[in-house]
Amino acid sequence: MKQIALYGKGGIGKSTTSANLSAALSLQGCDVLQIGCDPKRDSTRMLMHGSFIPTVMDLVRERGDANLRKEDIVHTGFNGIRCVEAGGPEPGVGCAGRGIIAAFQLLEKFGALKGDIIVYDVLGDVVCGGFAMPMREGYAQEIYLVTSGELMSLYAANNICKAIKRLSLRAMSTCRLGGVICNARDTPREEELVAEFAKRVNSTLVQYIPRDRIVQLAEMNKQTVMEFAPDSPQAERYRQLAACVTKNTRLSIPTPLEIDALEALALEFM
Amino acid sequence: MPSKPSPLNSCRSGGCTLTGALSVTTSVVDSATIIHGPAGCAHHNFSLLHATGLDNDRITSLNLFSSGMLEPEVIFGGEDALERAIRRAVRGDYSVVYVLSACIADTIGDDVPAVCRKDWGVPVIPVPTAGFLGGSFQDGVNNALVSIAGTLTGTAERKNGICANIIGEKNLEFEVEENFNEVSRLLSLLGITINVRFIHCAGTGELASLGGATLNVLRDEGMGSLGDLLNRKYGTRAVPAFPAGLSGTLRFLQSAGEIAGTDAVESIAGETGAQASLLEDFSDIAGSSIRFDPVFPGLTDDCSVSEVIERLGLEISLEGVRVPAPLSPPVGTAGVRRLLHRWRRALHA
Repeated sequence: MKQIALYGKGGIGKSTTSANLSAALSLQGCDVLQIGCDPKRDSTRMLMHGSFIPTVMDLVRERGDANLRKEDIVHTGFNGIRCVEAGGPEPGVGCAGRGIIAAFQLLEKFGALKGDIIVYDVLGDVVCGGFAMPMREGYAQEIYLVTSGELMSLYAANNICKAIKRLSLRAMSTCRLGGVICNARDTPREEELVAEFAKRVNSTLVQYIPRDRIVQLAEMNKQTVMEFAPDSPQAERYRQLAACVTKNTRLSIPTPLEIDALEALALEFM
Repeated sequence: MPSKPSPLNSCRSGGCTLTGALSVTTSVVDSATIIHGPAGCAHHNFSLLHATGLDNDRITSLNLFSSGMLEPEVIFGGEDALERAIRRAVRGDYSVVYVLSACIADTIGDDVPAVCRKDWGVPVIPVPTAGFLGGSFQDGVNNALVSIAGTLTGTAERKNGICANIIGEKNLEFEVEENFNEVSRLLSLLGITINVRFIHCAGTGELASLGGATLNVLRDEGMGSLGDLLNRKYGTRAVPAFPAGLSGTLRFLQSAGEIAGTDAVESIAGETGAQASLLEDFSDIAGSSIRFDPVFPGLTDDCSVSEVIERLGLEISLEGVRVPAPLSPPVGTAGVRRLLHRWRRALHA
């Protein structure tokens, strides 16, 4: 079983990328589980044809964890992909990080963490230990950074590199950086910039995903691109990403950049 | 990150902030205290206070509630659990309810003051007690006293006659009553009576008269900020600490006399004579060789203890007889007498 996690700045397209990646992997014949690890709980929505599935934390709040069953939290979406949303507290109260930990404990208890591949779609910044949970021992071994060429997006990706580096130094840690995915915003020389960023953090650009209106069209139709327009060039990009993830063996301990070096890098490609 | 200095002249520079605050709030006899946190925090503190009370020959009956936070409260926020606990507490016949937060409630950012501000029918007063911020037991004591003093609505109208408030007694220390009695005796030499013990076994009605005193006597120099608060609120100046040792007692009389506007010369002369008699009473151990018992660590280099050693010509030596070091500076002449009794017992054992 392969477990991967996609991290990146909020709004950069992690959920879109994750859902299309899961769909592409599934269409390649893999048994896929996608887990949304963001309190805003929209990671799996396109796989569920627009439905917001009840989150693990919503159910715990309403019923208590003792009254939950596996089928309450694991929902089947496009092409048999199993979908889970961890969820979290209302904005502004409680501890969302602890919510992620509790959701993982429940998934473990139900034996739900299984399949050929598990895709974790995680909140942008690793703001506390709870959001680093998918990187811990026994969960995702490969982390993919989703970023554009915008500085703040690279900044968030660089911060995640710091978290991976820190965790990878622990005994028994198997968490490594699998690569960088460029979800383009059409900034100048974007692919070059992100490729150079990936190289400098000791990794590689595994896929460039251009900006394409088909993504918005698919989402308006409450589907992934893989389902809505499987013959589109964009769908081909996701297929390439899925193939790359499946075969990827270049896993690294990242070398995060200092902020000055990151800014200088962005300036080089302006 | 806060960087807090240890309270001066205090042997309780460590410890749990929550416990410190609890040692104060549970001494308000008509109050209830809620610990907003896991039930274990309330249980642990109840056990500690109860056991300490028994050690000090006091039965401690604590009006203690817990919000009983569990993992769901940590994830989704604990304010609803706190509201439930307050609702339970205000159903009792209490004049005031204090809310103390355990570390986890502050870690997740529960807005405890906002919950307390709701109309509960009786005052519900939050006390900052999150120990992970670096506070000590003594910080908890100070925070509780400041919170309570800040919410008192009594006036600053002076009572007839000269009277003093006793501020911040260490309610868990073994000699709390003896120390109070000694301070009362010393103040009485100056014609000063006691107004309020803030806070030791006092009701909210008594506490409301806090502003009526001529002067305050702080238990510990680490309570300076509380002394300043009371001075701003009521215009009451403070003696900065209980009298420590022999010459410290004479300075205490001088200081209290100055604030009260009373001539202390006669009192100081009388107390000086009493101290000379005291040392004479212990002339049998004068010149003895002693060392402090390492099994019971306490103050070994405090100037008030050193003065007693010097005045009696005692010698500190590795071969000396083991005597207990005091846990805090001996309060007043009577405190020195009790200290010397303990040393005499050890020397004659």
